[in-house]
Amino acid sequence: MAITRRQFIRRTGLATAGTLLGPSLFASPFVRRAFADLGDRYLVVIFLDGGNDGQNTVIPVDDGSGTLRADYEAHRFAGGGGIRLTPAQLASTLVGTDPNTGAQLALHPGFIGLKHLYDQGSLAVIQGCGYPEYSLSHDEARTIWQSANPLRNGTLAGTGWVGRHLAATYGGSQIPGVCISDEIGADFRQSTTSVLAINDLENFGFPWDGYGSDEVAKAAAFSSLYASAAGGPVGSTQAFLGTAGAATLTSTNSYPALHGNYVADRPSFNQAYADIDRSVAYDLREVAKIIYGVSSGAPGVTSRFFRLSNGGYDTHSDQGGATGQQYDLHREVGDSLEAFYADLTDMGVADKVLTVVWSEFSRRIEQNGSGTDHGSQGPMFVIGGPTALNGGVYGNHPDIHEDRLENDGNTTYRQSAHPYRSTDFRDVFGTILKHWLNMSQPQILSNILIPDPIAGEYWNVSNFDMGFLP
Amino acid sequence: MGDQNSVLTQADARHLLRRAGFSATRKELTAAGITGQTRGAAADKLLNYKIKTFKPGGKDQQKQHDSLLRYLLVTKTPVQEKLTLFWHDHFATGITKLLAMNYGAATKLMAAQNKLLRTMARGDMRALVKAIGKDAAMIEFLDTVRNDKSIPNENYARELMELFTLGVFDSAGNPNYEQQDIVQIARAFTGWRYSDNGKSYFDEGAHDFNAEFSGDRGAKRIFTTVGQFGPGGRLFDANGEGAIEIDTVVDIIFEHRDTDGKNTVARRTARRLLEFYVGPDDGTPAGKAARLALIDDVVAESSFDTTFSVQALVRAIFCNDAFYATAQPFGLGVTKSVKWPIDFAIGSMRLLGMKFAGSNKYIPGGSYTGILTHMENMGQILLDPPSVFGWDWETSWLSSSTLLARYNFARDIVAARGGGRFRPDKVMDMSLTDPGDIVDAVLDALDVAQNFSSDDRQVCIDYLTTDGPPDLGDYNYVNEKLHGLFELVMKSPAYQVF
Repeated sequence: MAITRRQFIRRTGLATAGTLLGPSLFASPFVRRAFADLGDRYLVVIFLDGGNDGQNTVIPVDDGSGTLRADYEAHRFAGGGGIRLTPAQLASTLVGTDPNTGAQLALHPGFIGLKHLYDQGSLAVIQGCGYPEYSLSHDEARTIWQSANPLRNGTLAGTGWVGRHLAATYGGSQIPGVCISDEIGADFRQSTTSVLAINDLENFGFPWDGYGSDEVAKAAAFSSLYASAAGGPVGSTQAFLGTAGAATLTSTNSYPALHGNYVADRPSFNQAYADIDRSVAYDLREVAKIIYGVSSGAPGVTSRFFRLSNGGYDTHSDQGGATGQQYDLHREVGDSLEAFYADLTDMGVADKVLTVVWSEFSRRIEQNGSGTDHGSQGPMFVIGGPTALNGGVYGNHPDIHEDRLENDGNTTYRQSAHPYRSTDFRDVFGTILKHWLNMSQPQILSNILIPDPIAGEYWNVSNFDMGFLP
Repeated sequence: MGDQNSVLTQADARHLLRRAGFSATRKELTAAGITGQTRGAAADKLLNYKIKTFKPGGKDQQKQHDSLLRYLLVTKTPVQEKLTLFWHDHFATGITKLLAMNYGAATKLMAAQNKLLRTMARGDMRALVKAIGKDAAMIEFLDTVRNDKSIPNENYARELMELFTLGVFDSAGNPNYEQQDIVQIARAFTGWRYSDNGKSYFDEGAHDFNAEFSGDRGAKRIFTTVGQFGPGGRLFDANGEGAIEIDTVVDIIFEHRDTDGKNTVARRTARRLLEFYVGPDDGTPAGKAARLALIDDVVAESSFDTTFSVQALVRAIFCNDAFYATAQPFGLGVTKSVKWPIDFAIGSMRLLGMKFAGSNKYIPGGSYTGILTHMENMGQILLDPPSVFGWDWETSWLSSSTLLARYNFARDIVAARGGGRFRPDKVMDMSLTDPGDIVDAVLDALDVAQNFSSDDRQVCIDYLTTDGPPDLGDYNYVNEKLHGLFELVMKSPAYQVF
């Protein structure tokens, strides 16, 4: 399903609708064969919408050989409105040490669920992820991450990084991806194959007026109208509508049954998500239902790529410390992921499912009242069964020393060798594309993640072997 | 080039009503009396509406939402409402955050903002931007209420430039402002507060005055490297300090010029209004260039870059060839625009002469699903946009999930039989016998004939005659096949666009 890069068009006038990655780029059968080697794996992408405060997500507990803890305490105050997390509050969520300074690191106490996954070797914490010339606009930053295209290279316009992988690997009649949402996430956008948006499987049936017995004739006419629209110009609104409607009609025949099967077969896991009772838990449960269906051979269901988001991270005020807003957010995501992986483990597929968690930016180290303003680099998380990945801490903590912050108060993106070298988020995506989705590095670099065409502190040298995947 | 002296055909007139408001029924077309008039006269007739000051009531979110939708269904000034909707998306403020921050006052604040947008919709945009900065709902929504001299909060200053006026980049791809400009402008908005009755006021004690802060923060200077103000930029305390800074900042922003030397706010606003009323460009380099030329054309035609009169700008759009060019079927080289969920829902109800029923405003005789739930499923809850970015337009409206929600809505309409609430006989001639004539009548009633290709029309004819020739005098035939045809057309790709 194609998507226009509307946010850019509408807000900046830069890119254009329908500048889509057409099928010609992937027309070579050789290329397609070489790419199609996912095996029985799945990928889940989770977006923390609003700019998660990374500085209070992966926190230095001590200084190590540097001054990270002292710098942290210099900016984040204790007491009324303060959001500082003390070593005592962090004692139950310790993870590894910072690769650069050796400082002991801890997750926010709300991430007790992720701490449990970490202890099982199922969590990779990747610090300091960002990109050159970071944007502090939610919309622009979100677009940059989802398109994996900070410098707005025209050939990538209108598509997302997962979408380009799907376009390279799947054909027009396939439905390889599902967004648990009303809309297709921009990271899944492309124009070659179909991605569904499903809020809940149970209510994904196709509605016809029940008078008489005319559904077959109506469905046939519906299919004709949508097939004719789908034949419109690639990337057009017409073609988009056509493929979207056709895929919807098809999948409404196969997806709703997944709900009943799961509920009947897995009552205790079904209940575990309900006990958390947060939208992210329910969304992950829908993913679990589909994975359960695919892995048990349910007919007409082949999706292996999933996306969901969780909102509320724009904590300009009342962010909270060891309790409060950010605690609640981390608690719901961490607990839900823990329940999800327990479910997958029981299904026997935990080592086949990789989850990547990202946010469009982090937040400023200096507090502003009881909250924080938009910032630059932040941590990402990659989660998988114990043999799926190499758990641990990757990437350096950003340099938060007062004298070395940018003029706007944010940490600096650094691509070249440096003790506080940053991690470009494209290296994380590239490592997943190469080691999880089995794309070759040259193919990734030519079609999916294109290096910045500028020298200096830009992303010129890729590292798709970050080590968190075997 | 636009031509205000071109005479409107009936098809043109119907297109104008369809895009300027929510629907173009035969009745509305006759009442408007614009067929045969010039584009300029017709645009004036529509845009010189008598300003209504409706304020959506209701004690909770659902009641307030439903009150607004009921108003849209019955309004006699749809042109004013469509413009109000544009500004609601532009200055997107959501009640969810207001409920979280100030539960007791939330609906009151939203009602006041909605009325403000409605009354100022076609006026001076500069005045509107000044007013929205002092609007209580906005003061809460973008944290101006927490913007204090001790640490200026950047939220409103950023969105003022990124979303409300300049945009991040200009048409040539160059940045319109820098982070430093956001930091400085945030100072101008320090001290604005509101009371729960919806009135805002200026608290001098919370304001950043130069006497206290110029040492740390420098002069109140912005746009030193952008906007073509020269190396000194502009001082936003030039007219004095205090409450007036908020107006001075807006005046400066409206003088900002892009790298082509054009007024930045004028170009960006024209681009958005063209996308709203005409649709996206076709995405090709030539299409992009043509769109920019069209933007400059309507700005010049309306002098929007000096008067900032929204009415003049929209009039120029309604007089332009580009506006009338999209009323054709798919595949004829035009880029169609996807109906917003509110257009789909309210437009369909208006076209079929239907009314809501019950306390949750369901479609009578349908599934009893309330209109708020329908709208939520389709992806657009008025008064509660997903974020300050408003809604994502065009194909972003469409996914398997939101399409199913539209299909559900269409199903509910044709299933509304109890008491004859959906009455085909009220919108078409029931004495027709030829299947082609019946299809044409249904397409006309749903105001979608212009989007249907001859192949698509034939699909409808084939459907109508699956079980033999049509018989509109037969109760079962009407309920099964004629209702089915209305359902099919409302679910068709061509009906999702306009």
